[in-house]
Amino acid sequence: MDEIEFRRRVYANPQSPEQELLDAASDNPDYQKILDQAQELDTDVSNAVTAISVPADLQDKLLKIPASAGISGEELIQRESANSSYFHYYAAAATFLLAIGVTFSIVFNSGPSVQDIALGDNVLDHLYIDFEEINAFSRGEGNNFEIVNAANVSQILANAGTQFLSNDFMRSMPVRVAKPCEIIPAFQSAHLILQGSRGAVSVFVINNSPVSVEYRFRDDRFNGVVIPMGKGNMILVGEETENLDPYKDLFADNVEWVI
Amino acid sequence: MSDSPVIDGKNKQQRYESLVAALYQDVYRYAYWLCKSQALAEDLVQETFLRAWRSLDSLQNDKAAKARLFTIPRRENARLYERYRPELVDIEGQSIAASGENEPDFRMDRQLLHNAINRLDSDYREPLLLQVIGGFSGKEIAGILDLNNNTVMTRLFRARSKLKQEFGLDSDDIDE
Repeated sequence: MDEIEFRRRVYANPQSPEQELLDAASDNPDYQKILDQAQELDTDVSNAVTAISVPADLQDKLLKIPASAGISGEELIQRESANSSYFHYYAAAATFLLAIGVTFSIVFNSGPSVQDIALGDNVLDHLYIDFEEINAFSRGEGNNFEIVNAANVSQILANAGTQFLSNDFMRSMPVRVAKPCEIIPAFQSAHLILQGSRGAVSVFVINNSPVSVEYRFRDDRFNGVVIPMGKGNMILVGEETENLDPYKDLFADNVEWVI
Repeated sequence: MSDSPVIDGKNKQQRYESLVAALYQDVYRYAYWLCKSQALAEDLVQETFLRAWRSLDSLQNDKAAKARLFTIPRRENARLYERYRPELVDIEGQSIAASGENEPDFRMDRQLLHNAINRLDSDYREPLLLQVIGGFSGKEIAGILDLNNNTVMTRLFRARSKLKQEFGLDSDDIDE
């Protein structure tokens, strides 16, 4: 092993060098010096990087997240209202304002609700759980995944309460990965992955409350669309520049609920 | 971090508390290096753990949970702050924890190294931080950053080479 190669491998991971590198270092004082210097530097780097002080109250704040995330808006209003002697006046005023708000939103606002948007966020979160598979597709290795046979895809879909209208559809749209998933706890859903033009195209079907309106979402890497479909939702997600419209048309016309 | 912060069979609350105890400091430090602001880093960490709580049932083992907790702040930082970066107070020198090692000379060296890491291109800094703070392997870093393993190892080499050069010890460089 020449010195450049030795240095390259040691510097990539000085704290856990491979046995081959340790052997080379024990045979060559110059190599041993390189290894010692790299480990010394890495100890300094580690000390500098981890010397960032962490806010003293951060752990407490994080431990309170489950409690605050579990309290619904309605419960919060009830708790606060119960402490007020003017509860009835506030309630009447709130009802009036709520009526105006609802009317206004129906007339002027046809966008997705906060709950709708949360579904897109949950899907993006889920994609980063399946990151290794998604990344394999983006590297052009999607065809390394064997096409899932129709019976297996049908079983995954059936568990989520859906089915394809015809097997011909599956032949035109080979599914490379099919698995059950749980985007929202207690709602069984299906996750199918196909090879798109930019990487993976994920198709989720979930038997939860349909969103109020079809909407698109994106982050710095993915773009997606949530489509309300009768008894649930279908969600398509691809890489940022993937055109999802062809998939949307095909799947929306070929998936039906069976529950 | 403990070997198994996420243990099957424990209830969700216990799993979450184990995750927080094991990883919140590392996740905060990683977030801080991403956004270079204590306030933004704290926001990122809270958002990260809120999302982790919501999707905890999907995190089937400690490895997946840990990778997830380092993926979220990176993605959120890119989404929320990289396109709109408010004017930040320069906090270099204010963020290093006090310790018994804070003799003036020692602290100056650490501060110089801190600044040198800050000046690294993010392509080199991010894998270095994931390895040093998160203890991730090259393959795991490749998964988080969507790179192949060889690229990650080369960037780790180059990151340390650049730091070494800054401190006056030359090192051979290599192209990706």
